[in-house]
Amino acid sequence: MTPQPIILPGWSLAGGLLLLLLMGGASSWGIRRLVRGARQRRKGEPDWSLPQLDGATAGDSPIHRWEVRCKLVGMLGFAFLVVSLQDLRTAAVAGAITLSLLFVTRLPFDRSLARLLAMSGFLGMFLLVMPFSAPAHPGDTLIQFGNLESLPWNLRGLHKAATICLKACAVALLMEPLLATAPLTRTLQGLRRLGVPAAIGQMLLLAHRYSYVFKHEAWRMASGMRLRGFQPGSNRRALGAFGNFLGMLFVRSFERTERVYDAMQARGYRDRFPEPEPQPATAKDLLLAGFFLLLGVALLLADRCYFSTF
Amino acid sequence: MHDLNRPAPLPNPSDALFALRGLSYAYPGDIQALRDINLAIAPGDRLGLVGHNGSGKTTLVKQLCGLLQPQRGEAFYKGEKLRGDHLQRARLEIGLLFQDPDDQLFCHSLIEDVAFGPRNQGLPAATAEVAARRALEQVELLDHAYKAPHALSYGQKKRAALAGLLAMRPEVLILDEPTANLDPRQECLFLDLLRDYSGTLIVISHDLLFLYELCDRALVLDTGRIHHDYGMRELVAHRPSLREHGLDFSFRFAGNEKDPSPRDNPAPAAMPESSATPASSTPLIELGGYHFSYPDGTAALKGIDLRIHSTERVALVGENGAGKSTLLACLLGIHRGKGFYRYDGQEMDNRRRKQLWNRVGLVFQDCADQLFCPSVFDEVAFGPRQRGYTEMEVERRVAKALRQVRLEGFEPRVPLKLSGGERKRLALAGVLALDPEVLILDEPTAGLDPQGEELLLQILREVKATLLLVSHDMFFVRKLTERTLVMHRGSILRDYPTASFLDDSDLASLNGLDYTYRDRCAIEIRQIQHEHEHEHLHKHLHEHQHRHGDLLHSHPHEHEHEHRHRFRHSHDEEGGHSHPPQREFHDHPHPGHEDEPHDHEH
Repeated sequence: MTPQPIILPGWSLAGGLLLLLLMGGASSWGIRRLVRGARQRRKGEPDWSLPQLDGATAGDSPIHRWEVRCKLVGMLGFAFLVVSLQDLRTAAVAGAITLSLLFVTRLPFDRSLARLLAMSGFLGMFLLVMPFSAPAHPGDTLIQFGNLESLPWNLRGLHKAATICLKACAVALLMEPLLATAPLTRTLQGLRRLGVPAAIGQMLLLAHRYSYVFKHEAWRMASGMRLRGFQPGSNRRALGAFGNFLGMLFVRSFERTERVYDAMQARGYRDRFPEPEPQPATAKDLLLAGFFLLLGVALLLADRCYFSTF
Repeated sequence: MHDLNRPAPLPNPSDALFALRGLSYAYPGDIQALRDINLAIAPGDRLGLVGHNGSGKTTLVKQLCGLLQPQRGEAFYKGEKLRGDHLQRARLEIGLLFQDPDDQLFCHSLIEDVAFGPRNQGLPAATAEVAARRALEQVELLDHAYKAPHALSYGQKKRAALAGLLAMRPEVLILDEPTANLDPRQECLFLDLLRDYSGTLIVISHDLLFLYELCDRALVLDTGRIHHDYGMRELVAHRPSLREHGLDFSFRFAGNEKDPSPRDNPAPAAMPESSATPASSTPLIELGGYHFSYPDGTAALKGIDLRIHSTERVALVGENGAGKSTLLACLLGIHRGKGFYRYDGQEMDNRRRKQLWNRVGLVFQDCADQLFCPSVFDEVAFGPRQRGYTEMEVERRVAKALRQVRLEGFEPRVPLKLSGGERKRLALAGVLALDPEVLILDEPTAGLDPQGEELLLQILREVKATLLLVSHDMFFVRKLTERTLVMHRGSILRDYPTASFLDDSDLASLNGLDYTYRDRCAIEIRQIQHEHEHEHLHKHLHEHQHRHGDLLHSHPHEHEHEHRHRFRHSHDEEGGHSHPPQREFHDHPHPGHEDEPHDHEH
């Protein structure tokens, strides 16, 4: 039997949407300010003659010292278990755990905030759409705006959306302690030692390095077009110019890949990047990995056995 | 110090380090890059590889490193063909510096990158790190060891790429345009390192002033063939060869360096002593207390005060990273800083900033950044079409701009396939087609051969717009501008007439604008190129009617005699003169010589 909806006046939908938009805009603006402020507070060149992870104030946490293979298994395992959660409360606990990791590692919070900000538009759509699209089950709380009978707002949909958002935030927050507590080369070495093909690690390394060059090249070309009057648009001329821009960017990138490969070969590259000395895994590292996996399993059990009975 | 883990150098049973025999190579599409190359390079040779853009220089060095395999002929290194295991071993002894340092810095941090080669040589991580640190110290980048390559300036990247090679202690160092776009201080650092380098050195460059002291042998390539294999002094002394291969940089000596000839446009009449800025009238560009910081907090411009009047020609100089490009980006409205910016007396707001492209044009340092159309015509027509001109007007403007840059007839060609000099002129045409009030040129001579530079100079002298020139090339600054702004760490340090700038002896200590090496080489080369008619006894091959007793005949023959001639030469203190060896055969009038008795072998 379909539950009876609570009826609110029609204008309250428009008001609610407007309020939501304003809140979204304000929080996005606030996060941007926070990120910019944090970056400006950090201004002044760090001492680049020292390894940045060890030289930074935050470089000496248990997560930093964790052997990279164990860290990958522990944290990625935990992340997979977190995305399997179905209840808002367990997802909130997972979020709190990953947030506490940021404090333990003392990593700059602005990078995680920027990551969350990048996801916010996508997650905001979930919060907005899912309450309207979730099918009504017996016992659901429904709200009907004016005469819009066919578009009831379902509280269970909001719960679902919030759970998804919390899980996404928890995993996104986990990425910073996972990736920023060891040099990229060491993390990729860990992946290879876990059995991921070496070519994938090399592709990731080169993609990371050349994403900056590509971005800079694209920016310079876009500036070159703008300085000759290019106005983005959907007319034939603008689309043609945009096509030329993409084509040229592709040609330049393709030519660069050939030159980079030549440069690697000229310095003795033989299908394998040199790696740092392998880090041995200690019993402590294994225990920590086991602890994270157990934590994930405990959350999942609580989610399925305890909270599902409520 | 000797690294026991490093592989022992390959033995060399032959005299030559490199030997190329009948080597030819063509790129796909039947583009013949090298034809029948025969070349021997001995250990310790210091070779300058010169020639037009597209003459095959880069292809040749790729053959030397085994990055390309010959399609015909053979390439030997230390007596063995460059293939298989020998090639792999050879690569660990040959260092190749690419033109674009971004191609060569592919690791996550500088120290990892510099240690890449030593690790491939078999050094353990700790030893490779020591080698990398030593190399970074040599290029003065040790304090940037853990910085990511993308966060370095262009000059730093170039030095880091060189460190990557030095860390491998190569027996051969091959450099492709090592000093293009470098400021004099960084150029000096390269020079010092390369002078101290004891192995075999091969340098591709259009910059004969840079090569002059560094190399003792010059190989001139033309359309894939070796045209000359001279001593470097011989080459710079032989102007016809230089002219033939687009290398004649003698136009730079047309005026006296220390007494600069004024540029074609006269300087403003009432020029104050302290500044070259005319005092009256509304400036075309005016910046006041202008600051700009990048999002990461780096302050790039600090309190810039600048006024540029219509038709002024201004040079902007300073070391790499001084803030010149950032200032240009602000003037063009790409970046927005704090402080006031007025254009033609009007405060710059968002609407005016968007329309700035109609009045200010920029030719980028790397012209590939502004060439994206499928044909030369479309490229030049891009701007006028954006303005909404009729197709007839577009065609008129394209024709005019191409005529201005001497590219008539290039309309259907593909920009990507043009030579470096042609692309630079095409980029300029794309801007000139919009008739800008202000023309900004960012390092216009970067990567151009001397012939291309000379042509560009002629073109720029004809341009009537207000000019803002960013360059490390003092010759262009002298010839094209009447006022110079010296930038240092985001501020304008000096603003004075170009003549005063060129006489300023403080510049070396001020911000590294030290041109001593170039000036010294230029003076020496001018002395070498010195020529006037003189005569003395000398022996050479010539052909004319001559008599042996009763026999009268003609054939090439050699004997010593005196006649007047014009050779590049130098004078010594005793009044004598000397010149490098000349061509074996040369002809000249022989009044009465035919009847003199000739005694030579037939």
